[in-house]
Amino acid sequence: MGEQSSSADTPLWAVVELDQFRTPEQTQASQWRRSFRSISSWLGGKKDAEQQVKDESELRALPEVRLAHLVPSIDWTPAARALGQQLEGQDAPVTFFITTPYSGHASVVTHWAEKHHVACLAPPTLSEIAEGSTQWVEQCVNQREWAIPALERYFLRHTQGIQGVREFLERALSGRLGKGVIGCDSWTYAFLHRVIGLDGAPVFTLQSMEGEQLARYFAQIATHSGQPPPVYSTRTGKQVLFDSASEQKSKAPNKELQRLAAHCRGHIGLAWHYWRERLREPKADDEEALWLVDALAEAELAVDTGDIATLVLHALLVHGGLDDDSLGEVLPFSHHEALNARLALQRKGIVSSCEGRWQIAPLSYASVRQLLESRNYLVDPL
Amino acid sequence: MEEQQKYARLFNDIDSQALITLGVVLLSTIVLIIASQRGLNWIGNRMHGQVRFRIFALVPMTRLLILMTALAIIVPTIIEPSLRNMVTLLGALGLAIGFAMKDYVSSLIAGVVSAVELPYRPGDWVQIEDTYGEVKHVGLRTVDIQTPDDDLVYVPHLKLWDHAVYNANNGGTSLQCVASFYLHPEHEAGWVRKALRDVALTSAYLKFDQPIIVVAEEKPWGTHYRIRAYPVDPRQQFLFITDLTLRGKKVLSAAGVQSAMLPPDAALDTRNAVGSAYSRGND
Repeated sequence: MGEQSSSADTPLWAVVELDQFRTPEQTQASQWRRSFRSISSWLGGKKDAEQQVKDESELRALPEVRLAHLVPSIDWTPAARALGQQLEGQDAPVTFFITTPYSGHASVVTHWAEKHHVACLAPPTLSEIAEGSTQWVEQCVNQREWAIPALERYFLRHTQGIQGVREFLERALSGRLGKGVIGCDSWTYAFLHRVIGLDGAPVFTLQSMEGEQLARYFAQIATHSGQPPPVYSTRTGKQVLFDSASEQKSKAPNKELQRLAAHCRGHIGLAWHYWRERLREPKADDEEALWLVDALAEAELAVDTGDIATLVLHALLVHGGLDDDSLGEVLPFSHHEALNARLALQRKGIVSSCEGRWQIAPLSYASVRQLLESRNYLVDPL
Repeated sequence: MEEQQKYARLFNDIDSQALITLGVVLLSTIVLIIASQRGLNWIGNRMHGQVRFRIFALVPMTRLLILMTALAIIVPTIIEPSLRNMVTLLGALGLAIGFAMKDYVSSLIAGVVSAVELPYRPGDWVQIEDTYGEVKHVGLRTVDIQTPDDDLVYVPHLKLWDHAVYNANNGGTSLQCVASFYLHPEHEAGWVRKALRDVALTSAYLKFDQPIIVVAEEKPWGTHYRIRAYPVDPRQQFLFITDLTLRGKKVLSAAGVQSAMLPPDAALDTRNAVGSAYSRGND
């Protein structure tokens, strides 16, 4: 995937075909920086954060209420609208919409389905998946149009666990199940593409966002509560987010947010988490400006991360999150070892719980992806 | 007469003084060697951990030092240390040592050839004669191979001249692994082939960039299936084969597919074939 050039006029929400996806500028440089930081930590121990213009001890976390106003949950409606535009005129029996974790593929497909009065199919139960049952596929036969918000809930990575989803996809791709839209985690898509073969089905995704687009988006969501407050970087002291008045005057490229965009590979869901986690307000009440602390400091994986931890991380990504029982089923070691590895990763902040499933923490996703790619594990195409 | 004079000039006069000196040096050497070996062994047996092995390593070195010191004292006593004599002596010694060390020199030259041709390099999994393992170090004279049993085997480079070197990954990250299944002839072969392919596809260790092949071979006692696939990292090969084998057995057993009952001579042949194939990492 090449890197795309920056443009202030590029729409925020663009749904494109998978082979048109481009990572933001400086993504490769961001990876090199992360590798250098990992190696220096390994050789010389974890160092304090880089020289700060603003001392973090003078800042505090935002109260939840204020944070909810400044950084509300992502509204996926525009993305669903963009998806709908792409789907008009699609004749293929199955169309995929894939995104990375936290980037809303399930919400987008659900929104689209509600707007177009298309039924969302319920996933099979865990026991149906574990037994390799294909009975649930028969229930989909009567639908003329259908949608699946999250295909990662339809399989487990073992011999029985792929039977049902294979039967379903083979029938769907051949057109025997009518017409459908499938939302899928990008890692699940990469896995199923290799295991089952999904050639011929059109695949769409959200185009990556550059720094300028992130700045516009964060300013837009903060505007709901009035004028967006100016936000400065503790690292450089420069303004990162402008209110409408100063935005007109500032023509300088937004380097801090471009750095963030490159780090997150342009995925809005990940950038949103970074933005939300890293905003601070001054302890002194007479200051109105907000500060963005070192946006890229994260729970990093050690360079010498062992095989067991690596396999656990890969399994969690391929499945879009797993509970402890299922994690033990898909790994080649005992449940006890899998649980120990998961606990160790949780203590380091690499994994977190979301709706009863363990997932890679959003602020660790970039380093986990880079580690897996460097060790030749199957990675997603985004 | 002239020859006698020549030899007389080579050797010193061995008088009683020289004999006493020689005797004392020899006796002292023997006593020192015995004392140092027993002493160091005694101390080493009372130590623990790494210190113990370091002390044992001193035993041959100490013996060598004592012998060299003794030679340094004895040689000038027996031989007139003139330039001509030393050249004569060293020439004779060189000839003897040359014959003795021809294999050493051959290994050194083979080491140079191996550095150019690269039949193996650190990180490669190789089979040389009966030794299979990971190349840890390519030295001047030997290549150090760590076997799956955690033995470090020092193979002289001169083996390169007349022995084949089987290199499983040749400097890359792709190393083919083979998991074998021996099945009773009464089974649904198409289903088994598909099931074993799924076993490989769902392995956590699988490298997706390389192909997966399930090979079936009919034998008098049944059918021999082999999954040929590649793990993400060559160092995971044994865990990968174990994973394929255990999950394959589970799937086949759950479907009621029986293992083959090999007759004794077929079992012996298969065991020999698997033994050499295991040590080569292939079947």
